[in-house]
Amino acid sequence: MSGTTTEMDKTATRSWQGHWRWLLMTLLVVAGIGVSGYLAWSHLMNQEIVCGQSQGCDIVDQSQYAELIIGNIPVSVMGLLSYLAMFLLLILRGRVLSEWDSYFPLAVFGISLSGMLFSLYLTYMELFVILGVCKWCVTSAAILTLIFLLSIAELRTVTA
Amino acid sequence: MASARKRTRVSKPIPVTGSQILIVVLAAFLATGVMILLDSDILRQDNVAGAALNYETGVTADGNPYKGSADAPLQMVLYSDFLCGHCSGLAASLEQISPEYIETGKLKVIFKNYAFMTPESILAAEASECALDQDADAFWRYHDLLYNSQGRGLAAYTPSALKVYAEELGLDEEAFEQCLDGGSKAAAVQVDVDEGVAAGVQGTPTWFINGQMVPGAVPVDSLRAIMNELLEQ
Repeated sequence: MSGTTTEMDKTATRSWQGHWRWLLMTLLVVAGIGVSGYLAWSHLMNQEIVCGQSQGCDIVDQSQYAELIIGNIPVSVMGLLSYLAMFLLLILRGRVLSEWDSYFPLAVFGISLSGMLFSLYLTYMELFVILGVCKWCVTSAAILTLIFLLSIAELRTVTA
Repeated sequence: MASARKRTRVSKPIPVTGSQILIVVLAAFLATGVMILLDSDILRQDNVAGAALNYETGVTADGNPYKGSADAPLQMVLYSDFLCGHCSGLAASLEQISPEYIETGKLKVIFKNYAFMTPESILAAEASECALDQDADAFWRYHDLLYNSQGRGLAAYTPSALKVYAEELGLDEEAFEQCLDGGSKAAAVQVDVDEGVAAGVQGTPTWFINGQMVPGAVPVDSLRAIMNELLEQ
């Protein structure tokens, strides 16, 4: 057999389960972009000079843990960049069928693993240090966990 | 013979190996570790507290702490909540202009506890009043320490945390604990809140300079401009 792939081979690399998995992951990533985008916007736009009554998300957002000590980068911006990277990887994989195709799910796996672990740390901080929980932050942590679990299944289909 | 199916010259995808997955997992853990290092308390500097104050302090006739000369030409009444980030900002700005205005006797800042944001706000306000019981200096040092502790969120305002601050500042711990646990300052805090409401305060910080109301934490340059304008009158 020559080194070319037939139409049949191309569809075989994406089973119906793979299709649904890809769709679900993409939807989750889009939801993540929405949530982290809102959190980033709300953090960066906090231009008010007066405090009103406080709710859970304000306390978390105003804590020192909402920003990295380097460059005062908001953690929500880190999250948004991760989601955008995963979105690109998921979208581009369908369009770029090359010998590097398997590395797309590997990259998504790596990013979602790191994102999930960092989100779990932040959730821990909310529960035990800040003593204030922001529902949007917890939602993002849950989304990243689901993406990570799905990425494991996807990774298995391209592993030797 | 021509094939019924079009054959595209596309390379077969290289499968991912176990070692590559391991490398990615290690890289992910490393990246997460670095981010946690850059976010957590490990590298954050401790706030310096308890430094000696450079200005006079005292208590007004109606029991409110002030800093600066008692008869300064500029009299500021400041309504603040210890959990409010903007109040912390204004406090820092006032510290910045202190050598020019407070220490020179031009500006007097009277503090009132407009504790309204959360239950922790009220407890922190009561704790500050307990510090005031000991003396006005103790109040202002406690005030500075409270604002410096803000970034940690609600954990900075538990009863035990509030007592630790008193200990760090060398206050009379027993008197402080009795005062805080007994809730004896709840009424005093409520008086400040009621006065704020009556004066039209809706958020914090809200301050009155020679009777003129200014809502919010204005930048340092604006502060100087306002002070200078009023001094010329």
